[in-house]
Amino acid sequence: MMANQTYQAQSPVNFSTRVDKVGRRPMIASAIKGIVAIIIAFIMLIPVIWMGMTAFKSLSDAVSVPPKVFFTPTVEGFVNLFTQQRQLTDAEVAQYQERTDLNWAEQLVLQRQKTIIGQSQFAGQLLNSLIIAGASTIFSVIFAVLSAYAFSRFEIPGKDDLLFFILSQRMLPAVVVTVPIFLMYRQLGLYDTHIGMIFLYTSFNLSFAVWLLKGFIDEIPKEYEEAALVDGYTRLQAFRKVVLPQAVTGIAATTVFSLIFSWNEYAFALMLTSDRARTAPPSIPLILGTGGIEWSTIAAGSMLFLIPVVIVTFILRKHLLRGVTFGAIRKG
Amino acid sequence: MAQTSTDITSLQSSQATRQPRQRQMSDLRIMQLFILPTVILLILMNIFPLIYSLYLSFTNYSVIADKAPEWIGIQNYTTILSDQRFWANFATTGRYALISVILQTLIGFGLALLLRNKFKGSGLVTTLILVPMMLSPIVVATFWKLMFNPSLGIFNYLLGYTDINTSPLWLGDPNLALWAIVIVDVWMWSPFVMLLCLAGLSAIPEYLYEAAAIDRASAWFQFRRITLPQVMPLLLIAVLFRTIEAFKQFDLVMGLTSGGPGDVTETVSIRLYKLAFQGQYDTGMSSALAYIILIIIIAVSNLYIRSLNKARGA
Amino acid sequence: MLKKFALLLMVALLMVMGVGGSVVAQDVTELTIWWAQWAPADFLQQVGNDYEAATGIKVTVVQTPWGDFYNRVGTEWAAKGTSYDLIVGDSQWVGQGVTQGHYVDLTDFMVSNGIDKTVTPATLQYYGEYPPGSGKYYAYPTEGDANGWAYRKDLFEDETNKADFEAAYGYALDIPQTWEQLRDIAEFFTGRQEGLYGVAVYTQDDYDAITMGFENIFFSYGADWYDADYNVLGVVNSPEAVAALELYRELYQFAPPGTNDAFFQEMNDAFTNGQAAMIMNYFAFFPALDSDANPYRDATGYFVMPTGPGGERFAALGGQGISLNSYIDDARKQASLDFILWFAQEDTQRRWAELGGYTCNINVLESEEFLNQTPYNRAFAETMTFVKDFWNIPEFGQLLEPTQRYLSSYIVAGQGTAQEALDALAEEQDAILVETGVIQP
Repeated sequence: MMANQTYQAQSPVNFSTRVDKVGRRPMIASAIKGIVAIIIAFIMLIPVIWMGMTAFKSLSDAVSVPPKVFFTPTVEGFVNLFTQQRQLTDAEVAQYQERTDLNWAEQLVLQRQKTIIGQSQFAGQLLNSLIIAGASTIFSVIFAVLSAYAFSRFEIPGKDDLLFFILSQRMLPAVVVTVPIFLMYRQLGLYDTHIGMIFLYTSFNLSFAVWLLKGFIDEIPKEYEEAALVDGYTRLQAFRKVVLPQAVTGIAATTVFSLIFSWNEYAFALMLTSDRARTAPPSIPLILGTGGIEWSTIAAGSMLFLIPVVIVTFILRKHLLRGVTFGAIRKG
Repeated sequence: MAQTSTDITSLQSSQATRQPRQRQMSDLRIMQLFILPTVILLILMNIFPLIYSLYLSFTNYSVIADKAPEWIGIQNYTTILSDQRFWANFATTGRYALISVILQTLIGFGLALLLRNKFKGSGLVTTLILVPMMLSPIVVATFWKLMFNPSLGIFNYLLGYTDINTSPLWLGDPNLALWAIVIVDVWMWSPFVMLLCLAGLSAIPEYLYEAAAIDRASAWFQFRRITLPQVMPLLLIAVLFRTIEAFKQFDLVMGLTSGGPGDVTETVSIRLYKLAFQGQYDTGMSSALAYIILIIIIAVSNLYIRSLNKARGA
Repeated sequence: MLKKFALLLMVALLMVMGVGGSVVAQDVTELTIWWAQWAPADFLQQVGNDYEAATGIKVTVVQTPWGDFYNRVGTEWAAKGTSYDLIVGDSQWVGQGVTQGHYVDLTDFMVSNGIDKTVTPATLQYYGEYPPGSGKYYAYPTEGDANGWAYRKDLFEDETNKADFEAAYGYALDIPQTWEQLRDIAEFFTGRQEGLYGVAVYTQDDYDAITMGFENIFFSYGADWYDADYNVLGVVNSPEAVAALELYRELYQFAPPGTNDAFFQEMNDAFTNGQAAMIMNYFAFFPALDSDANPYRDATGYFVMPTGPGGERFAALGGQGISLNSYIDDARKQASLDFILWFAQEDTQRRWAELGGYTCNINVLESEEFLNQTPYNRAFAETMTFVKDFWNIPEFGQLLEPTQRYLSSYIVAGQGTAQEALDALAEEQDAILVETGVIQP
């Protein structure tokens, strides 16, 4: 399979040759498999679909007994998500109803006798999530590519121990390191800062990323680089022009996994951030109204929060599959 | 795959290492530059917490009390190991990990078999199946709690229970609560197993099947002799990761039952959380428990890695 | 060296400026208050905005979800952190805050400014005083709160319901006066209509919910968490306590399915979706029932805790007082005190009550204006005369954990008997109290 690649080959790896051979197997069996897969995918998606539906429900539809499958959609949940509101007294409601200068959002919340008094923190938290998850993903991929390359190509004293050390970072339950990290962050002034969260997530992702990428780079034949070195490339040039393009698939897979982790992390975000650097996950599930749980608001937040990851995963899905293959099934 | 070439090239590459070129960064420098950021970051972020909690595990200390840690040797460890409740916690965790990893493996592998052949839209279907693992665990727990609710949720209705007075009380019934957590865990993480299996499946050389077809081997034979052994390494890696995560699993259990009702779903991670926070702040004891969990995880990982190497060697 | 230098510089600055106190406070341009995430914190933010308008000092209320509030604060204490200046903390934290030095002693400040006389004695005692009876105050009672009941007037006043109830139980259907009556009514309404249940009660086991709900009966039945010498054996598992626990489990049998992990939101949900005829809840969450989010708004009535067999009546205390972080510098402390002083003014307290905050100010509480402001304020004012709280010793967190576990185990999971659950609980609590040196073995 590797044989049809040259070291300049930046064209996609001709990976699976099975596609064009499907014809040899009975088409019907394949079609049945496809249909079954679609049905299972649908069943697995029911909770997510339900979440999407809840996002467009009104507060009372969301908690009706029995649960409603058909309902009048409303964007109330999304409005609640992005605004801060205040309960109006009956007299104020009457006043507001006569006003003509209300925009659609204000009219919507007026139906619940509320008025919008400002923006909620959600937009800011989304931005924090983007900054922190984005930067930490980029850093962990960069650091991991560099060290995975070094681990793969150079003889490093105590290599196995170092690698085990890196893997072991994932083994200690997070709960117990929160307190020491919190104390440390306090001392260093990293508490509730973007940079602090970026460092933290980068270090969490690194262990997985280094292992994944090292396995992948191991698979890239060293002849390619050697040939490039003979051609007069420096080691750095060879790394950049030969190894990196070959490693794109592994990098993509690592990116997806790192992003999923840093985007969704909850416990540390809760303990180590307050106002400035708070990300969205600690807030979404705990959005409280004055009384009941605001399911539609929670659902709206969850759906919005899910979309970016799904898009990235969809774009990188081919790489994802192959990245995992190369990374993990390398032999000895 | 590239096994044979590796042996030759490793020789070449080590020669290259020994002959640094002029006028450019030596390989040694490059190696240092490449590795240092990772190692420094990991040491900064992890060594202190690790060593500090190891020290604290031998002390009587509460992080919020204004008292210095008092060295008590291995007392925390002996307390934990002689307390029945901790053993019950470990048993609960073990049951949960075992059941959910087995189910995830079966379902994930099954899905991968279904999706290995490309069909129109299979890329989209694969991505959609991966959606559960892209969600934040805390969001998953919150929503499943709503779904499991016999009054407000749809789960029981989907199963065909229409009378809420007799339908199962998933999170409140001591016989069902652990199963409810398993269901959510399997839902969320089977796609992960599927992803790894799919990767393994697509790497199986087609000629193996062609050869089997020529020999008129049965489908079962093909599965047992070709598919399974070829996927094994990746499957084991998936199982390893899921087992480690199951032992550490916190967000899901906390969000769904917080260990209840009573203590029937109190896993070691929940117990650890209750000890470390939840008004107890027994930092010393919780550090000791964390280290016990760590040792178990390392032991289990080693078992897996050993069988993984066996599978690879075969 | 550097510290000494800074100190000298500060002293010099103070001398140049002439007077300390208020002048230094001018340097403080913002204050941070920590509270849990709920509506009253929004109201406090609005009061804070008024303060900014009046003084130019910006007040920010940082909210943390209830389930994580204590953990967050505990970690902050551990670090002797200065992330907040003021904290609106739960009543049971006072003991810990005081003995571990996280709270500033406010006794002189409150007494010399006469603030201690402006709030009801019960709230001052439970939210601010430590140790009990010492006359030392560490918090200004901010949000008074306790458990009360909401019920469906339409169901209670329905003629058929009334006739059937009287025929079945031998007395008229009305607001329950005793816990036994409440049980009867709950039983009566359960299944009376399609999808209707008698009552919804707290059952959540992650922080203090199930204990809070249970305490209402527990205290009213004459039981207590410990005697005067902190003994628990034979106290926590007294016959009264066992009877109370059995009753609570009975009530849970009349609750809508799915309220097995329920706290204040689930109570309101069960009420607004028409499943429950009666719900217990903190008064702080009744405003939601008095809005159009509740389809039964006009048919919703409120009542206070019923009495136990001995005629005693207690309501589990919620609510919080505002305390001062002991780790902030003196200028910030002074600025924080200025804020409390302003907040405690009757005008501010009136505004606080108008917004929906539950003031503890005697005059505001007694004003007709307050009592008529909402349908539940009258019940609230009455309830605040018979509130009772659990442990406020620093060990409360350790005592609470097994309490939650054993209560949930018996009430929700139905494991063992009430006697067994409380026996085991008493034993575990006794071990904790002995180990921490509160009592002698």
